[in-house]
Amino acid sequence: MNNGSHNTSRPMIMHIDLNSCFATVEQQARPMLRGRPVAIANRRTEHTSIVTASYEAKALGVTLGMKVWQARKLAPDLVVLESDPPKYRYVYHKLMDIMKRYSAHITMKSIDEGVIDFYQTTGAMQQRDLAEIGYEIKQRLYDEVGCAMNCNVGIGPNRFLAKTAASLHKPNGLDVIDHTNLRQVYGTLTLRDLTGIAYHNEARLNKVGIYTPLQFLDADVTTLQKIVFKSIVGEQWYQRLRGWEVDDTTHDIKTVGRQYVLEARGLPRAQILQRLHNLCESVGHRMRSQGKAARGVFVYAKSPTAGYWHRRHMAPLPFFSNQAIYAQAALLFSEAPDTIKEIGVSCYQLEDDTDRQLSLFGDELARVQRVTAAIDAINQRFGDGTLHSAHTLGTQRHVKQKIPFGSTRYL
Amino acid sequence: MNDETFLNERVQVVASFGEGLNLCRPLVFKRPNGREVKVTELGLRHPANKGVRTVHIFDVTDGGTDYRLELDTERLTWHLTMEADHYE
Repeated sequence: MNNGSHNTSRPMIMHIDLNSCFATVEQQARPMLRGRPVAIANRRTEHTSIVTASYEAKALGVTLGMKVWQARKLAPDLVVLESDPPKYRYVYHKLMDIMKRYSAHITMKSIDEGVIDFYQTTGAMQQRDLAEIGYEIKQRLYDEVGCAMNCNVGIGPNRFLAKTAASLHKPNGLDVIDHTNLRQVYGTLTLRDLTGIAYHNEARLNKVGIYTPLQFLDADVTTLQKIVFKSIVGEQWYQRLRGWEVDDTTHDIKTVGRQYVLEARGLPRAQILQRLHNLCESVGHRMRSQGKAARGVFVYAKSPTAGYWHRRHMAPLPFFSNQAIYAQAALLFSEAPDTIKEIGVSCYQLEDDTDRQLSLFGDELARVQRVTAAIDAINQRFGDGTLHSAHTLGTQRHVKQKIPFGSTRYL
Repeated sequence: MNDETFLNERVQVVASFGEGLNLCRPLVFKRPNGREVKVTELGLRHPANKGVRTVHIFDVTDGGTDYRLELDTERLTWHLTMEADHYE
């Protein structure tokens, strides 16, 4: 590996990031929206959070996470659209197809960004100028998806620096970071500009007198490992900042969850439970699609009066059916506060669903397994929600499937 | 809020089937009220599933209004499902 020096090898990791992805896709699909401030929300109500804003909206101060009513104060002409997942999935697959033409070693980091590893591609491809390939990818996106589409491209010796490079000049930039300009780039950034440094990590660094990325770079490994992060994470940061690869890892799925902001305040408990049941069906379907069963259920509720409330339960044996998830979630939920504005459920302690321990109720388990598999097969063929519990009837028009941020497992 | 109207109008469409990125391109469509709309730009075409059926969704404009047309590949029917104009 290295002894504290910078990675001086040729930068061969390319990070591609679609600019304001969902808003740009809407502007591509609907030409009359181009040049206008556009925001995408998961529901068209004034109290919904904005998930993406176009550059025109961002220029007016609209940011992600802002409520629609707040954004309207800044941008009265703001066009708010409800998210349209099939459209974004299509563009995601188009981007993936374009990236695959350059290397078999691509990783989609989320619905709007991916990484091409040119260290592992063919010799002929490695001989090409990567900046030229970056511009070619931009052109292909323009030609094959549409003229409103653009992306940021970052090239670096590791994933971290490639992503950092991709964020330097938005929109539509292309930057390269290597050992020759590393200090210069860090000199222009703040700690929060670094991927992985948010409020808590910044506070940890500030405690030992590190206030800038350059100070972070110059900190010795012992300080980072023993004092700041108090774990191997400190050494990983030391390597990462110098361009060595520490992020080429895949993580096993640990939890599967969904949340829902209730469409109205003051819903009766029976209706809230129906929506919780709907979430449980969705979580169960997602979990089984990954070949997993769970041991634990976690539920939470946010209340305007009682704040954040949560409960969890570990079962002695793994479970996988929607009914089993809901039965436990509903039991936990009996202690939830009265007035609720948001609910969520997740399954944790996941294990492979292939090697189920024999139980005294083996026949019953096998029956549930067959019924669940049949329901999943029908929903797979005829569309999500074709077969569902009678209890959740009518909830589909409120609790809709939305974009899974972060993970590309369900795309 | 913008002015989106969601519809389910069966429309008659003249489309070209050729080569290139968009193999199928709606050119003109006629609404049940007799109004003809000339498509000036195809913004995006993407497939979507309606149960087992695949529909192709064409987001198009006539230069003043955005429209969404859906081609049902099983029944070979076209529907106008959204109209959005002015955004004022």
